[in-house]
Amino acid sequence: MSNYVIETKGLKKYYQGAVEVHAVDGVDLQIEDDEFTAIVGPSGSGKTTLLNLIGGLDRPTDGEILVNGQDISQLTENQLIDFRLKHIGFVFQSYNLIPVLTAKENTEFIMLMQKTPKAEREERVLALLEEVGLGDKLNSRPTQLSGGQQQRVAVARALASKPDFVLADEPTANLDSHTAANLLDLMAQLNKEEGVTFIFSTHDQRVIDRARRVITLEDGKIVSDIRQ
Amino acid sequence: MILKVAWRNIWRNRIRSMVIIIAIALGLWAGVFASAFVVGMMQEKVESIIRLEMSDFQIHHAEYRDEMDVKMVIENSQQIAEDIREKDGVIGVSQRVLANAMINSASKNGGVQVVGIDPAKEAVVSEIDQYLDTGAYFEGIKRNPIYLSKRVAEEYNLRIRSKVVLTVQDVNREISAASFRVVGIFNTNNGPFDEGRVYVRHEDLEGLVGTHEAHQIATLLNNHDSAESIASQFAAKHPDLEVLPWLDLATGMRLIIEMTDTYTYYIVGIIMLALLFSIVNTMLMAVLERVRELGMLMAVGMNKVRVFAMIMFETVMLALIGGPAGLILSYLSIRYFNHAGINLGTDVYADLGFSSIIYPDLDAGSYLGVSIMVVSMTIIAAIYPAMKALKLKPAEAVRKI
Ligand SMILES: Nc1ncnc2c1ncn2[C@@H]1O[C@H](COP(=O)(O)OP(=O)(O)OP(=O)(O)O)[C@@H](O)[C@H]1O
Ligand SMILES: [Mg+2]
Repeated sequence: MSNYVIETKGLKKYYQGAVEVHAVDGVDLQIEDDEFTAIVGPSGSGKTTLLNLIGGLDRPTDGEILVNGQDISQLTENQLIDFRLKHIGFVFQSYNLIPVLTAKENTEFIMLMQKTPKAEREERVLALLEEVGLGDKLNSRPTQLSGGQQQRVAVARALASKPDFVLADEPTANLDSHTAANLLDLMAQLNKEEGVTFIFSTHDQRVIDRARRVITLEDGKIVSDIRQ
Repeated sequence: MILKVAWRNIWRNRIRSMVIIIAIALGLWAGVFASAFVVGMMQEKVESIIRLEMSDFQIHHAEYRDEMDVKMVIENSQQIAEDIREKDGVIGVSQRVLANAMINSASKNGGVQVVGIDPAKEAVVSEIDQYLDTGAYFEGIKRNPIYLSKRVAEEYNLRIRSKVVLTVQDVNREISAASFRVVGIFNTNNGPFDEGRVYVRHEDLEGLVGTHEAHQIATLLNNHDSAESIASQFAAKHPDLEVLPWLDLATGMRLIIEMTDTYTYYIVGIIMLALLFSIVNTMLMAVLERVRELGMLMAVGMNKVRVFAMIMFETVMLALIGGPAGLILSYLSIRYFNHAGINLGTDVYADLGFSSIIYPDLDAGSYLGVSIMVVSMTIIAAIYPAMKALKLKPAEAVRKI
């Protein structure tokens, strides 16, 4: 059994259409625990597709995706949802939060679905929001928060489920550079101090500079894999 | 938490939610009120059929209704009537002598149905004295008084104290005639009933047709629901007589009652269908508008049961607000009109024997029935949008982010 958090073998995702698109075209990738990895590449190179495959949101055309040794491409749709709930944290570019719930409730929501006991839930929500710097915004709704604050709640929500790793597809794309830098600081800090494994895609050079490992995709293939 | 999210979700688009709530409330109200209207109309009709036309049950010679022969009297009618009068729940009993007669007035001849009655006993059963239009109810004329409907009076150009001659065939098939004087004119506003109807005292008619027995014994009970059972008890005791409750006497009444029931179902069904489509449409919009949000929720691990439940809860909550609102509206409006009456403002119904003022009424069971229909309709309406939400592919939904 491998000791990688994530391992893909010959991973392929082809989209059928007028022309067949090889969005991900034979990716062999190993991600270890505690990594802080950026997936970069030109638009259309397959970053989102790869993250969606790893996150169990999409099914590969071919190949294997092992998460802590378990092949998730074999799971049924319902098992996949459950798997995502228990093992993966997600941060999207936007629309991360339920608009009708407060920051606290959004973070709590995922633990409620995991049936975490109330006392533990309360404690963890407060700790997480404190950690992402929103201890004073517990009862604010998303519309009352800035874009950067919303992304911080999303990070707190992603961590609430104690996932094996967090996937973030262009988490800073909608943020100005200063706010983006702050979010990256937060993620880097969580990675360093709490050992949270992050895999994120980005176009932003300053974000890329903060990554410890940079995987470059082109036409669905890995063209470089640099640890820095 | 899902309940909390659902509850807050419905207030995201207040106008839309209010539209659904109002649609549910009005749909329920329309369904309940339409039913109450029909029930009120039928109650009125049944009440008038029993009170005026049929009484609760009637007794005849076994073949009288088929043959209409004056010879087919009820043997021992006096004794039988007394027996009935002593029973519990009996308000009144009237023995009637019946004959088809030829009526001759100064201006016209024609046929009428003559009913020979004891005026006091008849007044208790059919309250025919209450419909007095002009003159008096068997008072003021000593010899051969006749009490007839306004229709007859107009047709034969008769006024109070006018003289008419009634000619009948007696029990020996002989022609027998006598002259009568109009004592009173009544008007029940029930066209078919009033048509060709005249009352005389039973002793006067008995003399004319040559019998001392009645052809018909009509009984009024204080509880119409017991008519069938009392009638069948009595029928068992007198196998030689025909004993029929009002529902079997009023030909076509069963059919009319069944038909109006069916109509009511159709009306309520159409209202429910309209409700169904408006809810499906609105909830579908609510789902499609939230594709990304629902996609995100499924992406982070909200399973299908929960997503489905959330959309269902949203719809059901709307029903739980709109439903009671509609019920209150229905209850109040039915209560109001049950007192005030709805005047249809036309007398055409009178010709059909229906009242032109309707007092809508509905029993608790029907309120419950319509409410259950509306709530189940809402739940059914929620299923399609909720299924639609389940079909969302999180990968595609989040790509739109
Ligand atoms: N559902 C789909 N059907 C067909 N082709 C698709 C579909 N989704 C993505 N693609 C194609 O797959 C390729 C990879 O897309 P993907 O979104 O993974 O790129 P990306 O690297 O995330 O790009 P960006 O930087 O613009 O987000 C593109 O050519 C895209 O057009
Ligand atoms: Mg992308």
